[in-house]
Amino acid sequence: MRRPFQARPRGGHAVPRRRSGVGTTWEVRTFVVVSAAICAVFLLVVLYLSQATTVATSGYETQRLERVRDELRRQNALLEVESARLDSPARIEAEAKRLGLVRAASVPVVQAEPIAAKR
Amino acid sequence: MTEGISPTRLRVLFALFATATLLLSLRVGYWQTVGRAALLEGATNQLQSDLVVEAQRGVIRDRSGRVLATTVDLRSLYAIPKRVPDHAEAAAKLAPILATPAATIRSALGSGAEWLYLKRRLPEPAARAVEALAIPGLGFEPEPKRMYPNDALAAQVLGFVNDDGHGQYGIEGAYDKLLRGVPGRLTVERDPKDRELAVGLRTAVPPRNGVDLVLTIDLEVQTAAERVLRRAVEKEKAPSGSLLVLDPRDGAVLALASWPTFDPARVAVADPEALRNRAVSWAFEPGSTMKAVTIAAGIDTHVVTPTTTYEDKGCAVIGGRRLCNAQGKSYGTTTVTQILERSANAGAVFVAAKLGQDPLYQYLRAFGFGTATGIDLAAEAAGSVRPLAQWYPVDVGTVAYGQGIAVTPLQLAMAYGAIANGGTLYRPYVVAATRDADGEHRTAPVAVRSPISPDTADTLRTMLVSTVDRGIAGGAKVAGYSVAGKTGTAQIPSEDGRYVDDAYISSFAGFAPANDPRFVAVIVLERPQSKLLGTVTAMSAFHDLAVDVLRSARVQPDRP
Repeated sequence: MRRPFQARPRGGHAVPRRRSGVGTTWEVRTFVVVSAAICAVFLLVVLYLSQATTVATSGYETQRLERVRDELRRQNALLEVESARLDSPARIEAEAKRLGLVRAASVPVVQAEPIAAKR
Repeated sequence: MTEGISPTRLRVLFALFATATLLLSLRVGYWQTVGRAALLEGATNQLQSDLVVEAQRGVIRDRSGRVLATTVDLRSLYAIPKRVPDHAEAAAKLAPILATPAATIRSALGSGAEWLYLKRRLPEPAARAVEALAIPGLGFEPEPKRMYPNDALAAQVLGFVNDDGHGQYGIEGAYDKLLRGVPGRLTVERDPKDRELAVGLRTAVPPRNGVDLVLTIDLEVQTAAERVLRRAVEKEKAPSGSLLVLDPRDGAVLALASWPTFDPARVAVADPEALRNRAVSWAFEPGSTMKAVTIAAGIDTHVVTPTTTYEDKGCAVIGGRRLCNAQGKSYGTTTVTQILERSANAGAVFVAAKLGQDPLYQYLRAFGFGTATGIDLAAEAAGSVRPLAQWYPVDVGTVAYGQGIAVTPLQLAMAYGAIANGGTLYRPYVVAATRDADGEHRTAPVAVRSPISPDTADTLRTMLVSTVDRGIAGGAKVAGYSVAGKTGTAQIPSEDGRYVDDAYISSFAGFAPANDPRFVAVIVLERPQSKLLGTVTAMSAFHDLAVDVLRSARVQPDRP
């Protein structure tokens, strides 16, 4: 039976040992590269999923905030209408009448020019 | 193992499996080829929603920016009856809030419908009250509603918006296309809970909102105009009336009131006659307010001066017909100024006779009678000035004091505006500016023509002031201010071509302060109960209006 590791090739020294080292290194390297690739892919997938989840969550949050904004705008519009209604001269006149107020019989007007001339 | 199974059975089983596989393959093949489009469409429909995004209708504001009309989303209450646990209990709770009988709500819930509106466009407090009840099976959907915060104020100017969102009458009708804007579209992908997918498809064409309008209407003046008109109409039990206030310096309409009126928010119950804007669409025989126009023509052509005299014998004969003063009065020697002060029909006939048919006709047309003014409101009437070829000889006399001619209150106001501003006839307008994404675009006043010279206008102003100070229009005097104006009482033509017995149209046209006019107003009352004295009420209305307008505009008195 042949013993390859015992046979000494011509002119060489410890070649088989070197061959054994290369093989191991290659296997280790392959293992490391594949593992790294798997890890990288896994990390990328995780990163993508994380980002997609974040975007989706942010999207839902954006929609919620948009609804809140729309509702606030609606409430604001309603308040503007209410403000206009309360400011209406006709309403104020009616309210003044209800309070027993009467129209001023005369409105004194101060002329600016004569006062300025006196100074 | 297979030794116990007969080959025939095996073949049958094989055939069955083969057939099933073939059928399945064919079906899969079908869905991948012929049925692919339908399948894709079905899937897309489940996932995507294609919505029309309505444009926001433009806001209408008065000249100071106060809201006259705006659109707000109100909440409409809907029900899914199957999900409402106890119809009777829900109806009992909702009835007082919705102001609807519980039985009506109960029958609606029990109608068998899968989905129905219980009440559309609820007032916000009611919507909140319903929300607080937290009844399962009820929900809200926003729906736009046009709101008018000043209720019926300026109803004929504004018009209204119908249930389809289309503007009708007034500004809402005339500017509907601008106000409505252009709707947009939104296509989005949704999840099973109907939420928009953040990372899904999203295509949008944004809506272009309607243009905002700023009117020339002044809320204070409009309120005063409607108040005095209502008071005058009620006092005289008049079936209708109108009041118009203009700025003579550019033709801007400050107020426009018409009676009867309506509430734009409750059009369904409005009297159809109330929708009519009488200030622009009603032509009437104006009566003596036209004497100012006749005399303006006489002075402008130099056939008379304010001091020209004639002998007033109570009646004038023209075209073989006797045309007499009101109540048969005769005034003796009378100046042209006194024709206005006394409102002498015979005097107006005297001036018109000196003027002649053709010049009188030309001046009537130059003042804008017989032609629509071109105001930016719908349904404007043109009035009626018959072509000269159709005039009888007597017409030059009757037209001189405002019978046999039909004008709108707006035309009359514009003519007095020309006298007030020094002789320029403007085109009246209601929309002062439009506001859109590009900014504000202001309406430029349009001077149509100059029917009389500035000197003639100045002379007329003095004569009309005299009419108020010393003449028949004394009821329009305002302490501290010079007022120019003229009353009008006209008979009403009937369908048989004669005049209605004992029924009149009373009016007053005037402006103040006469030396630097800030407003022109025309008030018209149809068939006042005090008949010939209807002008007293019209003058009183003008006085009350003038006090308010001059105060609100902070116009300094021009008299001690």
